[in-house]
Amino acid sequence: MASILLVEDNEMNRDMLSRRLTRRGFEVAIATDGRQGVDMARAGHYDLVLMDMSLPEIDGWEATRQLRAAPETQDLPIIALTAHAMSGDRDKALEAGCNDYDTKPVDLDRLLGKIAALLGGA
Amino acid sequence: MKHPSAGKVSELRHHLRTPVNHIVGYAEMLLEDAEDAEVKAALERALTGAREALGLIDRAVGGDKPSVTAEELMTLREQLRTPQRAVVEAMHLVLDRAGTDTQVASDAHRILSAAARLVEQSTEPTVAATVKRPMAGTSARILVVDDVEDNREVLRRRLEREGYAATAVVDGEAALAAVASGGYDLVLLDVLMPGLDGPAVLERLKADRDTRHIPVIMISAMNDLQVVVHCIEAGAADYLTKPFDPVLLRARVGACLEQKRLRDQEREYLAQVNFVIEAASAVEGGTYKAGALDAITGRGDALGKLARVFDTMATQVRAREDRLRSRVRDLQSEIAVARRSTQSQTLILDGGNLVSGDHLAGRYEIIEAIGRGGMGAVYRARDTELEEIVAIKTVRPELLTDPVVVERFKDEIRLARRLTHRNVVRTHDFGEFGGVYYLTMEFVEGITVRELLDTRGRLAVGPVLAIAAQLAESLTLAHEQGIVHRDIKPQNLLLDADGVLKVMDFGIARLATRRAELTEAGLVVGTPAYMPPEQLLAEPVDARSDLYAVGVVLYECLTGILPFEADSPISLIARVLNDAPRPPIELNDEVPAPLSEVILRLLAKKPADRVQTAAELARIVQSAG
Repeated sequence: MASILLVEDNEMNRDMLSRRLTRRGFEVAIATDGRQGVDMARAGHYDLVLMDMSLPEIDGWEATRQLRAAPETQDLPIIALTAHAMSGDRDKALEAGCNDYDTKPVDLDRLLGKIAALLGGA
Repeated sequence: MKHPSAGKVSELRHHLRTPVNHIVGYAEMLLEDAEDAEVKAALERALTGAREALGLIDRAVGGDKPSVTAEELMTLREQLRTPQRAVVEAMHLVLDRAGTDTQVASDAHRILSAAARLVEQSTEPTVAATVKRPMAGTSARILVVDDVEDNREVLRRRLEREGYAATAVVDGEAALAAVASGGYDLVLLDVLMPGLDGPAVLERLKADRDTRHIPVIMISAMNDLQVVVHCIEAGAADYLTKPFDPVLLRARVGACLEQKRLRDQEREYLAQVNFVIEAASAVEGGTYKAGALDAITGRGDALGKLARVFDTMATQVRAREDRLRSRVRDLQSEIAVARRSTQSQTLILDGGNLVSGDHLAGRYEIIEAIGRGGMGAVYRARDTELEEIVAIKTVRPELLTDPVVVERFKDEIRLARRLTHRNVVRTHDFGEFGGVYYLTMEFVEGITVRELLDTRGRLAVGPVLAIAAQLAESLTLAHEQGIVHRDIKPQNLLLDADGVLKVMDFGIARLATRRAELTEAGLVVGTPAYMPPEQLLAEPVDARSDLYAVGVVLYECLTGILPFEADSPISLIARVLNDAPRPPIELNDEVPAPLSEVILRLLAKKPADRVQTAAELARIVQSAG
């Protein structure tokens, strides 16, 4: 069973997404801010990170950069989640080191497709 | 007007989209599990509403939009109300069908709270702040009323520079028309104008329910101060003198708008309080629907908590009422069966001393005798003065030979006449005619619990609880008024065809219980089966003595036998004083254990060991089952 680290500060988003992923058979761990997300990702063995971009402490862009800089997480697949449906966000996310990018509201099937593509290739 | 920067717009869009995202996520999740076709359709409607809301938000504050105005936000807020309503209505249906599924209910509540935030968002400070200049609320709409063009324009332009949406009109009539069209947060009103002057406009605004909450700042020349005082007394929020000091203008306008914002919040709060109160009336009227308070239960404050608690309680009350109704229905069918077999029996009863067609006291025409007991006879009669059917109970002359007893009896009747309750047979009058004492009372077409038991044997638990609840209610009222019945027994409990129980003979029981003392005079001894030990021992009785009798009645209703039976009154009394009754549950295994225990408690030898009040018994019975 693949394990996913969900980094999300909004309680409802967290509850929703973690439940929906659990129902699809994933094991979901949760971090509620960027710093905790980085700490958990480096300490644990996750198959993939779902990273909200607007986070307290350190934001998702910075958290992603830190994960890419650390040897133990430099190859960890990261999907950026953002509500900012701006054209530049996708490039910005990929530039920061994310493997893929999705916008909220999350289209679960689309997201599952992206997760499967990343995990399948790993 | 100052526009927010592109970064601010994207932040604003994020704020607006977040609740929509929550609606979509939870609705999709619920949809995955939904089985009921109507619930599925409702969830689809919620999703359509949410997508519509997203479209509106993207159009108003879309990705490439560099700026947004307060007006555009106001428009968006109005537009969002339609999809919001669709979501809320859909969730009410989902909640109605959720039943005991707490996960579904909790997710639906989350959707509702997100829907509430959807429209709040565009007015609440987090969002307003992004379109505000640091010192003033740009979204506020201000109406300037002044007949002098220079003043008017100076003021309007200055307010616009402060970031407000200002409109100017030239006279009082135009001002009233503008305010009536709605949307203004503040009025700056010149005192001296031709036609309708400032004070007159103020008076009209404050007299109208729809406009009285809009703050008004009076604009005056230095020499109008007398009038300004009058205006403030009449409801003006503040005043400004010409020429305007920009700092003062900014401060007073800002303060007024802040006060209005707080008042609006308060008004909205009170409106929701009223909504809760309406819900309370709906509960009373039996029209409350679970989930009706969803717009309020999402609040994090005390009102939200009140609404949540209320919703739970109201739902429980309704369940309890439904339970009671079903018990009464069971009781009704028992009565219907019993009546069919007792009707003929009633007619052959001995008619006492009076016969059909006799007149009593020139007022009551006897129709038929309907019963006869130790006290005298009971007749159905016509009250020829009020053209009403009444019951007349005659009292044997031997019982009322002592004038002291007669006086005391009259006192009791006076007390009993005050009892007005659907579960009490009304006592009308007490009189004497030709040596016969008589009581007139409400005539109830029905049968006694005695007759019911004689024809039906023991009763099912539901009907017994219906009897118990009504008996407890009638005794609660009587005991509160200091009246102890002293002779509760199945013969004194009437049931009409609707299953309504009515307790008879309040006030005359004292006379009846004197029979024990009068035994030596050769009068009939009533059965002591329903009397508690203290009454048999001629010790003082109180409300708890009635509760013992209730215990015996309920025991008999559930088991078909008395708690104590014996061949002679003496051995019966000995058993009542000394023996413990067998628990009803041993005689009828359908009796719920808690009910069996309550009945044993009612039958305790010592009054202090019984259920202490009829009100307490009513509560126990209500929550039983």
